[in-house]
Amino acid sequence: MAKTYDYLFKLLLIGDSGVGKTSILFRFSEDAFNISFISTIGIDFKIRTIDLDGKKVKLQIWDTAGQERFRTITTAYYRGSMGIMLVYDVTNEKSFENIKNWIRNIEENASADVEKMILGNKCDLDSKRQVSKERGEQLAIEYQIKFVETSAKDSLNVEYAFYTLARDIKAKMEKKQEASNPPGGRSGAHQLKANEPQRKPTSWLSRCSVL
Amino acid sequence: MSEVENKEGPAEEEQKDYVQDGRNKYVVKCKFCGSKMLDKKSGKYMEAEKELPLMRQDNNRKEGEIQSETIKEFYHVENMYTFENIGFTHTVANHKYLSCADCDAGPVGYYDMDTKHSYVAISRIVHS
Ligand SMILES: Nc1nc2c(ncn2[C@@H]2O[C@H](COP(=O)(O)OP(=O)(O)OP(=O)(O)O)[C@@H](O)[C@H]2O)c(=O)[nH]1
Ligand SMILES: [Mg+2]
Ligand SMILES: [Zn+2]
Repeated sequence: MAKTYDYLFKLLLIGDSGVGKTSILFRFSEDAFNISFISTIGIDFKIRTIDLDGKKVKLQIWDTAGQERFRTITTAYYRGSMGIMLVYDVTNEKSFENIKNWIRNIEENASADVEKMILGNKCDLDSKRQVSKERGEQLAIEYQIKFVETSAKDSLNVEYAFYTLARDIKAKMEKKQEASNPPGGRSGAHQLKANEPQRKPTSWLSRCSVL
Repeated sequence: MSEVENKEGPAEEEQKDYVQDGRNKYVVKCKFCGSKMLDKKSGKYMEAEKELPLMRQDNNRKEGEIQSETIKEFYHVENMYTFENIGFTHTVANHKYLSCADCDAGPVGYYDMDTKHSYVAISRIVHS
């Protein structure tokens, strides 16, 4: 059968144990059903289809087990992944400090051009917060990575984060294609579209802030 | 879940109003939240008898017991990327179970680790 999509991106959720990686992928709420067979086994990955500027993009999103600390994660772990969500828990200082270690690990083991994004999860737990949004933003600026605070519990900014990461991967791929294959007059209009500046995430960022 | 003879042919499916040319005539969606799983015509209609764990397991069941039922009709999907939205569980005895990517209801079918083919249980989805 002919391919029915334009892009396939493999994405990985990475971060310390307990930051909420599984919760970001698995949205099941306990009161919706009795006992779910699925929740006892757990989700390995999900396939999602999204529309990005008229292109059909398939995302394959993988959960990873937190007990596999960054020290033991090697190349095989990252193989084939084009985007990585670095997740910390805003109520857990240590998980935030470890983002730097995760980034170093990615730099040592993943493909050099893998797209990254930092997620400060559990932003619904404001009373227990240990890491301010500003510190998250600062870290993101330092590494030139995009950042957003999320709440897996309230489904806040989760979808936005995946769209943003996917859009960045797509833009990078299109840029590469153009570089290796300079466009003729034919695709002028399409090119413009691909190079459109991305919407600033400001409005999303401000939705999960320190009050 | 042992292999049984599969019938993939035009013989009986003509009576099924949701099958056309041996494929799903309609979009396949989650029963609970309506999340789109398969586009029209992307799964092959197939009759086979397979055991699939129940979506809801009784709280009072015996420890370690898995309650299941026999499913007789499936949509066969050869390439996992054919799915619009779907979840894959961790592997259990050479299978991964399929679940809704939005509300996590399932199993709505299974994935065979050997053949890498997926099978969607028609009684566990809705057409639209
Ligand atoms: N309040 C709140 N709790 C959350 C959120 N995300 C996750 N949790 C809770 O945090 C705990 C850990 O979440 P998990 O999703 O299991 O964390 P994980 O990153 O998958 O952990 P490992 O699998 O050990 O690596 C669970 O009790 C979740 O319910 C969130 O956004 N808000
Ligand atoms: Mg987990
Ligand atoms: Zn659903």
